[in-house]
Amino acid sequence: MATAIPSIACLGVIGRNNNPLHVAIFPSYDPVTNNFAPVRTPLQFSLLLSSTLDVFELRARHNAATGVGLSGDFGLLHAVDERLAAYGFETNTGTKFVVLVDMRGRRIDGAIAAGLVDIKEKRLGAVAVGLREGEMKPVFKAMQTAYVKLLQNPFFDPDEHAPPAGHGGKKITSRKFADDMRRIGETWTPGVTNL
Amino acid sequence: MDAQWILKHQDLVPSVLLCFYDLVSDPTLATLCDNRLKTDLNNLRGLLSQSGYKTRLAVVLFSDQDTHSVDSVQERLEAIRRACAIDAKSLFLAPSSESPDELERMAENMLTTLYGVAIEYFRDLGRHSRKKKARGVVPQPTVPPTSGTSQTLSQAGWNVRYDFKSAMFAEYRLELGNALLSFEQAYENLLGPELLEAIPSWSPRWNEARFLADVIAVRCLRCLLWNGQHSAAARRWQSHRDRIAEFVDRRGRGISNYGWKAWEARWAIIMANLIERTAVSGFTPATMNLYLQPEKNVMGERLQPWEMLHHTGYWYHLAAKHLSARRNLAHAMSEDDRRPPSSSPASHVANNAFTYDTYMCPDPHDEYPLNGAGGVDHSRMIVDCLKRARSEFLKRHQFRFAAELSLECAKELALVRDWKRVVELLRSLWRDMSFRSEGWVAIAEDLSWALRSAAAAVGDADLIIAIDWELLGQNFTRRTNWHYDITRSLEGIAPKSKPSVHIEHGELLPFVSASFVFRDEEGKAGQSTRGQLAIKSNAQQGSAPVVLKSIEIEFSGSVGRVVLQHQAGAATEPRKHGSVALSAVSLTDAAEDGAKSEVENLDESNRKLTLRGNANLTLLPSQTTVFGVDIPLREAGETRAVSLKLSFESEAFDLQQSLYFGSGINSSNLWYISASSTKRIARAIPLSVRVLPRPPKLKIKAPAWKDQYYNDEPIQLEFEIVNDEADGALAKLDVDLFGEDTPVFSIEVVGQGAGDALPSSTVVNDESKLRGLSLGTIESSKALTVRLNVPPIERSNRYDLTMRVTYHLSTDPGTPIVQTALLQLNVVNPFEANYDLLPRVHPDPWPSMFDYNGVNGLSGGDDDGNDGSSGSGNAAHAASTALTNMSHKGISQAWCLVTRYASFASEDLRVVNVDIRVQTARTVRCFHTKQPGVLPLADEDRGRGRLIRPRTIVEAAFDIDARKSTLDDRSPSTLDVSFVIKWTRCHPDTSSSEVVVNTTTLPVPRFTLFGTEPRVLASVSHIPPNPPSLNKDNSSPRTPQLTVLHVIIENASAHFLTFGVSMEPSDEFAFSGPKQTTLNLLPVSRRSVTYRLLPLPRPPPPTPTPTTPSANKALPPTPATPGGGADGAGGTWIKPGLVVRDKYFQKVLRVIPTEGMKLDKDGGVLIWIPPDEEEGEARSGEKVEAAE
Repeated sequence: MATAIPSIACLGVIGRNNNPLHVAIFPSYDPVTNNFAPVRTPLQFSLLLSSTLDVFELRARHNAATGVGLSGDFGLLHAVDERLAAYGFETNTGTKFVVLVDMRGRRIDGAIAAGLVDIKEKRLGAVAVGLREGEMKPVFKAMQTAYVKLLQNPFFDPDEHAPPAGHGGKKITSRKFADDMRRIGETWTPGVTNL
Repeated sequence: MDAQWILKHQDLVPSVLLCFYDLVSDPTLATLCDNRLKTDLNNLRGLLSQSGYKTRLAVVLFSDQDTHSVDSVQERLEAIRRACAIDAKSLFLAPSSESPDELERMAENMLTTLYGVAIEYFRDLGRHSRKKKARGVVPQPTVPPTSGTSQTLSQAGWNVRYDFKSAMFAEYRLELGNALLSFEQAYENLLGPELLEAIPSWSPRWNEARFLADVIAVRCLRCLLWNGQHSAAARRWQSHRDRIAEFVDRRGRGISNYGWKAWEARWAIIMANLIERTAVSGFTPATMNLYLQPEKNVMGERLQPWEMLHHTGYWYHLAAKHLSARRNLAHAMSEDDRRPPSSSPASHVANNAFTYDTYMCPDPHDEYPLNGAGGVDHSRMIVDCLKRARSEFLKRHQFRFAAELSLECAKELALVRDWKRVVELLRSLWRDMSFRSEGWVAIAEDLSWALRSAAAAVGDADLIIAIDWELLGQNFTRRTNWHYDITRSLEGIAPKSKPSVHIEHGELLPFVSASFVFRDEEGKAGQSTRGQLAIKSNAQQGSAPVVLKSIEIEFSGSVGRVVLQHQAGAATEPRKHGSVALSAVSLTDAAEDGAKSEVENLDESNRKLTLRGNANLTLLPSQTTVFGVDIPLREAGETRAVSLKLSFESEAFDLQQSLYFGSGINSSNLWYISASSTKRIARAIPLSVRVLPRPPKLKIKAPAWKDQYYNDEPIQLEFEIVNDEADGALAKLDVDLFGEDTPVFSIEVVGQGAGDALPSSTVVNDESKLRGLSLGTIESSKALTVRLNVPPIERSNRYDLTMRVTYHLSTDPGTPIVQTALLQLNVVNPFEANYDLLPRVHPDPWPSMFDYNGVNGLSGGDDDGNDGSSGSGNAAHAASTALTNMSHKGISQAWCLVTRYASFASEDLRVVNVDIRVQTARTVRCFHTKQPGVLPLADEDRGRGRLIRPRTIVEAAFDIDARKSTLDDRSPSTLDVSFVIKWTRCHPDTSSSEVVVNTTTLPVPRFTLFGTEPRVLASVSHIPPNPPSLNKDNSSPRTPQLTVLHVIIENASAHFLTFGVSMEPSDEFAFSGPKQTTLNLLPVSRRSVTYRLLPLPRPPPPTPTPTTPSANKALPPTPATPGGGADGAGGTWIKPGLVVRDKYFQKVLRVIPTEGMKLDKDGGVLIWIPPDEEEGEARSGEKVEAAE
């Protein structure tokens, strides 16, 4: 078990009206079949992402009551089971970024291939290969950067994707944004500080 | 050792035996009882020691005596204690008479004491087992090992046993840290190479060891949770799972069979139960914690997210997942494996034993029997877990997660075909799920299909129709083998009655979207406006077309509703282009045909108009159907398209879908000009149209309206009110005149018997108004004239005149209609003038102080002679002058008032007369005369007076003769003059008799007369040249024209003044008279010096002397200068160097010119020399005669 390290299983961008804007799913290593496959079906990922909205609401209520959590980083939202955990971030405008991390998404060789061998080996001696709270920050930062880039596109109308009054909204169709998401999801491993 | 051991220590063997006895106080019985008590206790002790357990004995004695005789009781107690060898701490005396509170307190004390005793007991036991372990020898078996109830143990096994026991005892002592330590030690040893590794997996001992490991792990978790080490507990849970999995995988039957999954599920449930039982404080639903923060000591470490202890919902969810995995694995078993052992070959049974892990779960043939009967009810277990999890999530407001679990649950139930519960579970979820409104289409779709299949099984027709209606939408992924035909929804279902479904707006995602656009922003009542209804079908490609029965559009405001009904072969074939079909629909008022009776039942005022039309209402997939309608507008106000109701009807069912306009996505503002081209309607709300009130057809005309009206003339304004309506109008008139100093006006209705008093307005705050003047009925296409009489206005001003006619038609008395006319009334001053008061020399001599007659001769004449001055001519002037001389004895002065008035009117005006009105102090008598030529009485044009064109200047001069009443009055006096112009408008048509003469009075600035300072007046007169015939002298054939200059010095003061007068020679003229002289003036006297001037002829320089009006016009004696140009005729200006000096003050006095003279720039006097008629002769041989 210690040969597996976390990887991103799914990146979700959720609009102000709690509507899905973009969902990117990444395959995880499956030790049984020895290849990469997503751990869940897209429908299940949708359900997982949508269930994080509960937590966002809960936290927002809690934060409003206690007056903390202005940074927008919600940290760990919840762990769905011992493998999947959801981390969240909310921008000032109510757009939410959700990262679903598969705690056993990569083999250790994958990490070596990614050039992280020295960092890894030190840590593998430790009891648990877990995550620190701050390790999701680069992901959110990169996602936000990508989102800001998207917003800077004059042809992108944010109101179309999350109407100020009303429900739903269109999904993001920008290929560049999708590519960015894909890049972020594929390159992130624990300890990466810059994406 | 097994569970019985724990049972023994936990439930069966007491650590302390507490006995209750009565302590009899009766002295006669006391000893007997005490003795009986002692024997009893001793018996007990004996029994206890016989049992081999070191159970402590404690005694409570209830005394029935009062507490005051403590001593004797104490003695007795001591005796009992000693006799029974009871610890002093374990003997209690409870006085019987204590109150319940006291007793309670006492019981607490007792428990505390006994607690210590119990701990002592367990410590002894713990010490015992530690001692045994420390001894390190395997004890001889007490029973022969063959019995089957007991096995021989290795050294390591004994160690595990002792560790476990001491851990248990520590746990009983509540020393959780120690207990944990011992448990961990036992666990490690158990899983160590000597025990679990050494046991073969086929042996039942293997499972027993696993069981023991599980038990230890559970106990560990319990300790950790009690200790508040939540993350450690989670981690412990995980590590045990991992280790066992590793073991089972390596040594056992692998982890890919149902047995392992069963264990995993069990392990998760155990954790959930443990969390529930230990009642972790952070997980009460009120705290809303989903998981607990890790303890401080592991905070910095890299933690698995799962190691934050989550609430039980998550654990149950996990268990459910494992259970379903178990079910999958069980179902994957081959049929051979599932045969009961009795009916399968022995080799197969043996094989099964190695393939399937049956640790704590049934054998394959029980797990999933071949015949389907019995077996494990996986679904029930899963649903059970999911329901528990769901309730936990709901408690923490995780509604979406709960919904997800419901969906899972429903799918599970669907597998066992428990459709009813599926529908129950999902119906409410489907009605108001957040996934739909938030756009999680995939989830909504999944849920919908799940519910649909259940509904189809149950036969819930309404639900099926609604779901099918929604799933027609293109948003949802297409199912390949689905018919997508709403009419076939109820195939195979036979509802009892024909279902009728009504879907509200927003209830589900309809596949049709609609928008309505009015072409114009405004419309007028009584007219109609065009609107377009666009319905876009987003149905799945290839789905059957939906034929609607009718479409109802609801409007707010006066437009009622529009109903479009389906008609297959509609009259107008729609124009199609691409995906757009455009058709025009003609509407008819439903009230006019059959539905009338039905409508009449309703309240008349609430009756809303229903317009009906027929069109083809077939909606093809992804086609936009546009209906153009003409909507008549009835009443004023805002009208807005509100909602839409689509009705679908088939043989099997009815369906109605409501849609509201204007909710975000639906609202578009495209106007379809044709099927292929659109234009954007740039309006904020194209859904609405503003209906303006019916335009009034009554007209107010002012045919004789003029741009300007003039001051001081009565103004008559005529208006015509023309009724262009089809019916007679009963009208009332309101008139407002607004401005500064508004006059009171009156109104006359021409043609009506003008009463004695015309209605007139009231003036309030610069507003003159007249309200509600009844005009009576104006018949259709008739006109009524109203005349407004405004009195003369003195000041020029601007007024706003508002005429408002409120009327209603005789056919429709309820609707008032208003017509207003706004006019601007400009009242301007027609004339403006400026004035010059020029001094003149009074011809009469001043009275002398020394002339007695002159001063006193005629005093006390009437002072009111002023009045007759207005109509005076020249002849009258002479007479009045004589009169004045007699009545007024003061000094006199003559002036000439020159006025220049200009017309500021915009049209020609005719001035009939001009005059001045003079007002002076009482001590001054003043006459004025109009100089001739001011106003020609008969103009060249017809009529009297002079025609003055706009912006021309006309001059009028008046002579003023002023005389003081007495000589003693020497104060200055003022002269107030106003200038009066009488004029008429030029009416070429009207006869002059009707012309109203208006009088405009212009005030003239005040002048001052009779200053006390001395003044010097110069006057000039000309002596015409003597005709040669008259001249008898031979010396000079002809005297040239001479100019006589009088210098008159007036001394109005009471001082004796001396003046020096000097005349400098000039090359312009020769003169005779004193070159330098001195004049002495008595108080109130005047003297004059006379010079005779002869201008020297010289070539006339082109002097650019302008012909000033004073020079030109104020020369009555001068013959008319041709062309007005003085220079052309040879006249010149000469400047005599005349200086008058006050000798005493050494001050030069200004010489004031009078007629025929003017001042030059330096203040000198210029004299006009008229041209000499015989200049040519004079110039030939004349020698200039130098004066003196």
